[in-house]
Amino acid sequence: MLSKKLIKKVLDAALTTSADFSEVFIEEKLSTNVSLISRKVEKSSNSKTFGVGVRIAKGYRSVYGYTNSALEGDLIKLATDLAQSFPGESQNIEFELEEMKVGNTHKIKILPSDVSIDEKVNLLKRADNAAREYDKEISQVSVTYLDYVQKVWIANSEGTYVNDIRVRPRLAIAAIAANDKIKQTGFNGPGGHIGFEFFTEQINVEDEAREAARVAIAMLHADECPSGKMPVVIDNGFGGVIFHEAMGHSLEATLVAKGGSVFSGKKGTVVASTLVTAIDDGTLANSWGSATYDDEGNLQKRRVLIKDGVLNSYMIDKLNAIRMNDECTNSGRRESYRYAPTSRMTNTYIDNGESTFEEIIADTKYGLYAKKMGGGSVNPASGDFNFSVSEGYMIRDGKIAEAVRGATLVGTGSEALLKVDMVGNNLLSAQGMCGSASGSIPTDVGQPTIRVSEITVGGRKGSN
Amino acid sequence: MNFDLLFEKAKVKGIEDIQVYVDYEDGLSIQIFNGEIDKYTISTTQNLTVKGIYNSKMGVVRSEEINDDIIDFIIDSVIASANTIESEDEVFIYEGDKEYKEVKGLYNPELDKLDVKVKIENIKILEKKLKAIDKRISMVQAVYQQGTGKVIIRNSKGLSLEKISNNAVVYAYVIATDGKDQRMVVEYEMSNDYSDFDLDKLAQKWVDRATSLLGAQPCESGEYEILLTNTASAELLSSHTSMFSAESIQKNVSLLKGKIGETIGSNNITLVDDPFIAKSTQSGSFDDEGVATSYKEIIKDGVLKGYLHNLKTAKKDGVKSTGNGFIRGISPTNFYIKPGKLSYDDAVKSMKKGIIITDLDGAHAGTSPISGDFSLQAAGFLVEDGKIVRPVALITVAGNYLTLLKDVTDVCDDLKLDMRYIGSPSVKIKSLIVSGT
Repeated sequence: MLSKKLIKKVLDAALTTSADFSEVFIEEKLSTNVSLISRKVEKSSNSKTFGVGVRIAKGYRSVYGYTNSALEGDLIKLATDLAQSFPGESQNIEFELEEMKVGNTHKIKILPSDVSIDEKVNLLKRADNAAREYDKEISQVSVTYLDYVQKVWIANSEGTYVNDIRVRPRLAIAAIAANDKIKQTGFNGPGGHIGFEFFTEQINVEDEAREAARVAIAMLHADECPSGKMPVVIDNGFGGVIFHEAMGHSLEATLVAKGGSVFSGKKGTVVASTLVTAIDDGTLANSWGSATYDDEGNLQKRRVLIKDGVLNSYMIDKLNAIRMNDECTNSGRRESYRYAPTSRMTNTYIDNGESTFEEIIADTKYGLYAKKMGGGSVNPASGDFNFSVSEGYMIRDGKIAEAVRGATLVGTGSEALLKVDMVGNNLLSAQGMCGSASGSIPTDVGQPTIRVSEITVGGRKGSN
Repeated sequence: MNFDLLFEKAKVKGIEDIQVYVDYEDGLSIQIFNGEIDKYTISTTQNLTVKGIYNSKMGVVRSEEINDDIIDFIIDSVIASANTIESEDEVFIYEGDKEYKEVKGLYNPELDKLDVKVKIENIKILEKKLKAIDKRISMVQAVYQQGTGKVIIRNSKGLSLEKISNNAVVYAYVIATDGKDQRMVVEYEMSNDYSDFDLDKLAQKWVDRATSLLGAQPCESGEYEILLTNTASAELLSSHTSMFSAESIQKNVSLLKGKIGETIGSNNITLVDDPFIAKSTQSGSFDDEGVATSYKEIIKDGVLKGYLHNLKTAKKDGVKSTGNGFIRGISPTNFYIKPGKLSYDDAVKSMKKGIIITDLDGAHAGTSPISGDFSLQAAGFLVEDGKIVRPVALITVAGNYLTLLKDVTDVCDDLKLDMRYIGSPSVKIKSLIVSGT
């Protein structure tokens, strides 16, 4: 770790030209990665990450540099090199760093770094056994255990000086079901911003593994999904990826600030069905996308993005707030010191409505029931998005019918959420990794079961 | 870090053989928006990976902190890691090959020497050109990115290898708007020779790409003849490269198991792993295990010839490593489908009714290298009687990658490598299922 004195020196060196803001981000991370395949532990490694990122800004324009060096000479040189991007007289900004604040809103009981590797391996074995025992047709199981303890220190020329510790364990289970002709996979990857107690207090490892196996088996016996436009019921949990892709990314200041998003300038207007209220909440206790502070040293918070269909707030980081002349929503996040922070999602979900799951299915004459979703992507300029259905069923006459596989849903963000005509009352979240401008970061997606009245379904069976 | 000291201490602790792999990288990135520098990033990084054999198991540790103070941490971690391994596969630290082919054109000192002011000026000019060519271009972000990397490998068997390479990429996000529709494309050009960047040519090409998609609408659902452009075909290949890894075969998660010598593609498909092409950071005379790399045809005229191996999988199959053992697992070097003779324009003209697919999205979720099934968001152009009728978007194309390889009816002459150095020419395909309106 760098001393407070050295941090101050670097911040000062960064302000020797005409810049008006400087920031130091220090990261120390220890991670463990153990994986099992074919019933045996195949890979196991520890990784130690250490790096420092220096950011300097004038107004909303910024420059960034990073290094693995902790040497004073290297850091001062990095800061002064970067400062050359803002030629001119120094603004003589005087400040003192505050007493260091330590993030502590997410309770951690057992640090994964204090847990023996054998206990971690044991989780892999339990998951492997449970998945294999689920059905004879499970032909292969791969399980990966990951954890990290990431300590960050963020200091800036406004006096901010915080230390946040992010602890994230995760178990990723992939089950493969096979017969003579085909192979199908099922995946489940529970995780949290929590200690090792996650595996005893919050989840049951066997249940999570059986869930991966269940999906693989269901899809092995599924028919190809038909294609065409139809109503789609998207289940709770990872189904929330529809909001994440269809609207979430386009509400990040990264593109909104430059006028490039389909939702630029749309605050206060109707952008979704009145049944939709959507929230991005970085404070949810021990959730995968939570932290005490964002990666600019501001306290995480809850943001109501859409209220009853009306666009209420974007997700905005410090510098984009200046560019947009809007309020910073403390949404600055980054994968590591290798990235300058920008506005990103945390735990994002559509809030509960009033319908029950049963009512939604019973009300659907014909359509697709997307029980489990895979990932997706979006082009935030056009708003065109896609995401894949990893477990699907046809709905006929208000009843869940045959299983179907291989479906992808595509749509336009500005339209898809307007077509939500039923929202359930069974909100649930699931964990994912989200890749964008500032790297790959942990995010939760979530929603209750919802129905979209019409969306394009792409499958291999062709149209009916 | 004093590697000799590390090797010595490791030996004392019972580590039979040990290898260090270090990569150093200097990076520069300049992003221009509205004529100003919007983002400017400089970096100096290093990354150490140590592998050691302890009780016949391979332990691995990584660290970005590299100094003598962490030697004990490194050794303890290697032992702890090795102790958890249960796989009985034989593992190796390699003594090296007799010969390593010299690969030219990996490092261009001129690129590093060129003043950063020139790079900034030119990327500003590119942004300006992109906006000036067509009024419908509403927003541009142009980026210049450069990296110089050095890799060193040393091990306790006396192997000592070094490789230096550099590379630059010019890319841009280009948004076109016609008042009703808005389209964004991300286009790039890579080289380590700065004079390869012809800004006028790039600007025109990229603007044409962005504007050509304006007004795109879904087409009718159905089965269509398809022309997959070079970049779209590379995207699909890239999602399926793990099929060709011997590790996937041995773990029984690849459809290509037991298929060597069988026809798995149309006879105009030859798939190559080529570590010797100039100006590619994926090129080099050795892989991360220190094994000499080689040029090989994985598919020749439609017939599967072999898999990609590292030392471990090769031993298991009783073959030689193909030099594809990399830090993150088995992967190709420069991996591409060999070009044919047909020009792209002639390929379009030869279609009666079909779709040119220029963009495929969502490949990380909509493809599965295990089943080969894919269903992806796509955009491109509807073709009738050899002529482009209109742009299409928000459709999906679905199929199976192995079926697609068999259904390739012709291969164009326009090979292009993507940013991961996976490439393809444009390919014509008998048909795919398209879902639209």
